[in-house]
Parts: sequence; C-alpha cells; structure tokens
Amino acid sequence: MGASVTATTGAKRYKLSKLEKSERLLGIALLTPAALLLLAVVVYPIVELLINSLYSYRLTRPGYRFIGLENYAYALFEDDRFWHATLNTVIFAVVTVPGALVVGLGLALLANQPFKVKWPVRLGLLLPWALPLVFAGLIFRWFFEYRSGIVNAAFEFVGLPPQNWITDPNLAFFAVCVAIVWKSSSFMALILLAGLQTIPKSLYEAAEVDGASKFQQFVEITLPMLKPAIVVALIFRTITAIQTFDIPYAMTNGGPGNATETMAMYIHKTTIDFLDLGYGSALAAIMFVVSAIATSVYLRHTRRDTGRN
Amino acid sequence: MSDVVLTKVVKAYGATAVIHGVDLHIKSGEFCVFVGPSGCGKSTLLRMIAGLEGITDGEIRIGDKVVNDLPPRERDIAMVFQDYALYPHKTVFENMAFGLRLRKRPENEIQQRVKEAAAILRIEHLLDRKPGQLSGGQRQRVAMGRAIVRNPKAFLFDEPLSNLDALLRSEMRVEINKLHKRLKNTVIYVTHDQVEAMTLADKIVVLSAGHIIQVGPPDEIYNRPAHKFVAGFTGSPPMNFLDCTIADGGGAIELAGGVKLAVPEARRATCAAQAGKKLTFGIRPENVLANPAPAADVAAVAAQVQLTEPLGAETLGLLRVGDGELTGRFSPEAGLRAGAPLAAGFEMRKFHLFDPESGAAIRGAGW
Ligand SMILES: Nc1ncnc2c1ncn2[C@@H]1O[C@H](COP(=O)(O)OP(=O)(O)OP(=O)(O)O)[C@@H](O)[C@H]1O
Ligand SMILES: [Mg+2]
Repeated sequence: MGASVTATTGAKRYKLSKLEKSERLLGIALLTPAALLLLAVVVYPIVELLINSLYSYRLTRPGYRFIGLENYAYALFEDDRFWHATLNTVIFAVVTVPGALVVGLGLALLANQPFKVKWPVRLGLLLPWALPLVFAGLIFRWFFEYRSGIVNAAFEFVGLPPQNWITDPNLAFFAVCVAIVWKSSSFMALILLAGLQTIPKSLYEAAEVDGASKFQQFVEITLPMLKPAIVVALIFRTITAIQTFDIPYAMTNGGPGNATETMAMYIHKTTIDFLDLGYGSALAAIMFVVSAIATSVYLRHTRRDTGRN
Repeated sequence: MSDVVLTKVVKAYGATAVIHGVDLHIKSGEFCVFVGPSGCGKSTLLRMIAGLEGITDGEIRIGDKVVNDLPPRERDIAMVFQDYALYPHKTVFENMAFGLRLRKRPENEIQQRVKEAAAILRIEHLLDRKPGQLSGGQRQRVAMGRAIVRNPKAFLFDEPLSNLDALLRSEMRVEINKLHKRLKNTVIYVTHDQVEAMTLADKIVVLSAGHIIQVGPPDEIYNRPAHKFVAGFTGSPPMNFLDCTIADGGGAIELAGGVKLAVPEARRATCAAQAGKKLTFGIRPENVLANPAPAADVAAVAAQVQLTEPLGAETLGLLRVGDGELTGRFSPEAGLRAGAPLAAGFEMRKFHLFDPESGAAIRGAGW
C-alpha cells in the first residue's frame, strides 16, 4: 500500500521494461504498412491537389504556370457561377437535412413498432440506403418525367395539370430535394432506429403509469433520449449534403441552366468538362475546407459527449 | 376504499396460458407479497394489475372500479420497477414531479409534495442531481419517491431490491416497512426473496406456474404450509422431506431405512387414517435437535453427520438418517463434526405430512 502511494505520487517516470520495449517495437512495425498506405492514398492526393490549385493548369492550353492564390481569388471574388453553386448547395442542405430528419424519424418510429413480420419494414428501410445514388437520381428523374412520369400521372388522376418538373428551375430544385430526402432519410432512420432501440421499455411504462399519453411519452421520453443520435445523424447528413453530387447530376445535370448545380458538380464540370485542373483543384480545396469545418464541429461534439461519461 | 380484487384472472400469450384463473382479494391498506420461483407469473400478474399487460379473461377491480380496460394512468396506481426506470434526462426533482405535472397540479403543490416525499426518503440533498449521478440505493429511493408523491390507491413493486447488495437490501427492507406503516396505502410487492416476503407482508401469495398455491399471513405460510411446494419454498434452508409410511396403527411414522418416530397422542388419529399409504414426512431444520434431553414429544434418532456449514451464529449440519438425508440447524455449541455420529431428535409436534403425488398437506385440526 505505502509503496504504491509513493510510486504514483512521485514525479519520476518509469523506464520501460524490456518486454514493454519489444512490445512497442512490434506495435510500430505492425502499424507501418497501414500508415504508408494512408500516406499514399490520402495524404499524397491532397497534397497534389493543393499544389495544383496554385498553378494555371489547363489541358486545353499548354503550360503549367505558378500563379499563387489567383485561382482562389477568382473563385471567391469574381466567379458568380461558383457562388451560385455554393448557394444551391447551402439551400439543398438547409432543406434536405431537416427534411430527411423528419422523414427518417417517422420511418424509425414505424420500424420500431412491434410488427409481427419485421422484414418488409426493415427491407423498405434499407432499400433506399442500399441503392446507388445515381440509380436513385435516375429513378426520380423518371418519376418526375413530364409525359410518362408517375408524379404527373398522379396529378392528372386528381385533376391537376401536369408540371414541368425537370425543366422549370424552381420545380426542378424541388424535385431534386424530394429525391435527396427520399434517399438520405433511410440512413437517418437507421441511425435513429439504433438510438430508439437503446431506450429501455420500462421508461415508457413508468411514464405510462405516471400518466403520460402516447404523445407526451414521445415528447418527454423519446425525443430527449434520442437527442444524441439526432445530433450525430444531423452532422453526418450535413457533411454529405455539402458534397451533394450524384442525384442532381443524374436528374437534371445541374439544369435547367445552373438552377440545381452544386459545388461538387461545378468542380466536376470545371475539371472534367472544361479540363481546367488548376482552378478545379482550388475549388476542391475550398470545398474541402468547408467539409473540414463541418467535420470538426462533429468531432468536437463527439469529444464532448465522451468527456461527459 | 382501495381494495384490489382479482376474479378468475387469466393471461395467455397466444395459445399458452401463463396465469390460470387467479382469484385474490387484497384489502385496502394491506401489504401483499407475491412470491414464487422464476417464471411463475408474479410480474405478469402485477403488470396486469398495473395495466401494462392486457387481461385475457376475468376481472380486476381497484377500489370500486373495474379496471380491465383502463390504461395505467387511469388506474391511480404507482409502480416501482426493478431497474427503477428513472428518466435519465430529468433531475431527481423532475423525476418525482413528472406525474404531478402531467396531472396539471399547481406549482406550489408540486413543490410541497416533492419536498415532503424527499424528506421522508431522506433525499432532499439529491433533488438537483440527475439519476446518473446517484448510487443504486439512492436511485431506489428516488423511484419510491416518484411513487409516493402521487399518493395513489396502490403501490406496485416489482422486485425493487433485487439490484442492491445484501446490506443495502436489508436496510431498504426496513425503510419500505416503515414507509408502509406510515402511509398505509395498499402495497403489492413481487419478490422471489422469501425473507422479504416474511418480513414485509401482511399477506403472502405463493404462486407456482400461474396458479395460486396458498394465500395467508407469513406465520401461517411458514407454519401451516398447504402444499409441499410452499413448505419447500419457505425457510432457509427450506423444509426437509423424507419418504415415510404410517406404522403401529398411527402410533409411529416409519422412515425409509426402518427408522421409527413415535407420533404424539394428538396427531395419532389423523396419521392412522393414512395407514398403508406412501407419504412424505416434512420437518424444518430448526425442529431437528442435537443431543436432546429425553422428552415426550421428541423422537430420538441416530444420525450420521455428513457435512457441517458453520454460519457463525448457527451451524447447519447435513445428516444421514436411515436411508434419507436432511439438514438441521444447530447451535455452534452442539459440537457437530463431519463423519461423527449424532444423537439427533425430531420435535414431533412440528412435523408435516404431504401426499407425495398431489403434494397437498395432510393436516389434522390444530396441527
Ligand atoms: N411476452 C411474452 N410472451 C410469451 N410468454 C411470456 C411473455 N412474457 C412472459 N411470458 C411467460 O410468462 C411466464 C411468467 O413470466 P413472469 O415474467 O411473470 O415471471 P416471474 O414470476 O415474474 O419471474 P421472475 O421471478 O423471473 O421475474 C413465463 O413463463 C414467461 O416465459
Ligand atoms: Mg418478474
């Protein structure tokens, strides 16, 4: 007892024993391949991208010229199309993140009901999530098709005039939002369902005995208990919303005009269609910074969460 | 009046019935304890009274209302759960106040009633904490506090002490007892700990496989068990059972292995009526004596000590008598030694007889 007290209070650091040293060496040896791999597939491309963003580098013109921060300056201060794409991205995020949360919460609550046969519900929940994004985009493009789409068919059925879903800028934006919410709410629902399943049943029973109606149980038990899951789901969704690409690409290709073009699509067009690798790299770097900020918000949140326990 | 009355209550899950027609009258203010082995339906019965489980058949009345189809919140009951089920995101105060808030009581009444309950349970200093910051025993008190602020017709407890360590459990047992003496509400309490049942109950209900086996005050359950199951469930260690037959026209009980025990005068007639049948002889460990002085009602038996278990205040001894084994409860001074013979004695005014097939007790008047 006395010995251990002096040992822990003493400021002296203990030397590693032989065994600990050899374990440490083995640890380093085992980590090296993974570290090298990460370096090759993550760090190298990012560094390459950052370097390219400082050059004028167009495949349509000869030359590879250092121009400092000119690409960034152009994007931030002169390029209206970039700002328009940014604004679109923000609106997509602001509309579809809460939209997916509400729909996802509804789906999660539904899937959490004690159904006799669980698999159809679970399958319905998983299907949109498992479907490739481009597929989802194509499906919804057919849904919103002017002549043969199911949406206009439904409109006609209830006696409404068919709408130009894909060619009217506002309607196209709306249609893309619907597709994104459909696609992403199942991911939300999966996270929230996991959260719901950790709420002990006895809490609801206690609330029921205390006199809470079903709605009061939802407000007083479900929502507060689900808060951590909701926050995590929101942040994940926000980060992916910043990168929105596939669905508008497949549905509208950014059109009509640039009405549904997002940051990621503009970067794609700049590099792949216009072959301007330098400028595209700068745009990608800007988007990377925005994503990094959102990610750090998420990381800070999770760190605070674990700190509390 | 808040009697709780169950009439032919049945619970079935699909085709399997787990409660088979239970009749029970719990009087207003009574402390009623359900005991029985795991899976016998104690919780199910309690939860049906609470309204957390539906009733397949029969009727449940609380006070003068039939509550079969009422949701829990309209039954005016409070429940303490085994895992306490405190709301983790609410403070202790809000946990206790929740039921009153939902009933839209005025704020000053809420304050007053929560403070009162907290004072009774000595948790006033914890009111601002969250349940996560409490010890097991403190959580237990909060769970009881949440129940008592509402002053309901009946308190329902489902194994409220089973998550506490032995010391805290006996402390809380005393607390619950005091609380009931003070508040005098009807209490229905589920446990599989027969010590809790014996110490707390006004009325014990012994359940087995969805049937009520016996209902009665603790001393009756202990001293006059109606069934071998009840006898084997109460006492620690529980009653000893040995195969026997009646000999000498009711004058003696013969155990397997030829050991004869003289039956006291008062019990002979009842024994004589069982002559020729195979029976089960039951005797509690404390009615097995070591080196007894010769007395009219003590049957001397030669025993062999197989094993001793010194518990400090007493010593349990596993004895071999004739062809059977039984446990006795002795004073440490009796000097039991494993492997040594012992002059044992049975207190023959305290033995029990059971029908080995049905398990029903065979009992004369005044046994
Ligand atoms: N939802 C259910 N579906 C089917 N059978 C059930 C269900 N709930 C309980 N049972 C069965 O009902 C019987 C009684 O269960 P109950 O929980 O009331 O037992 P208990 O006496 O409280 O046991 P324990 O002491 O272990 O808590 C058990 O055999 C159990 O398997
Ligand atoms: Mg139980």
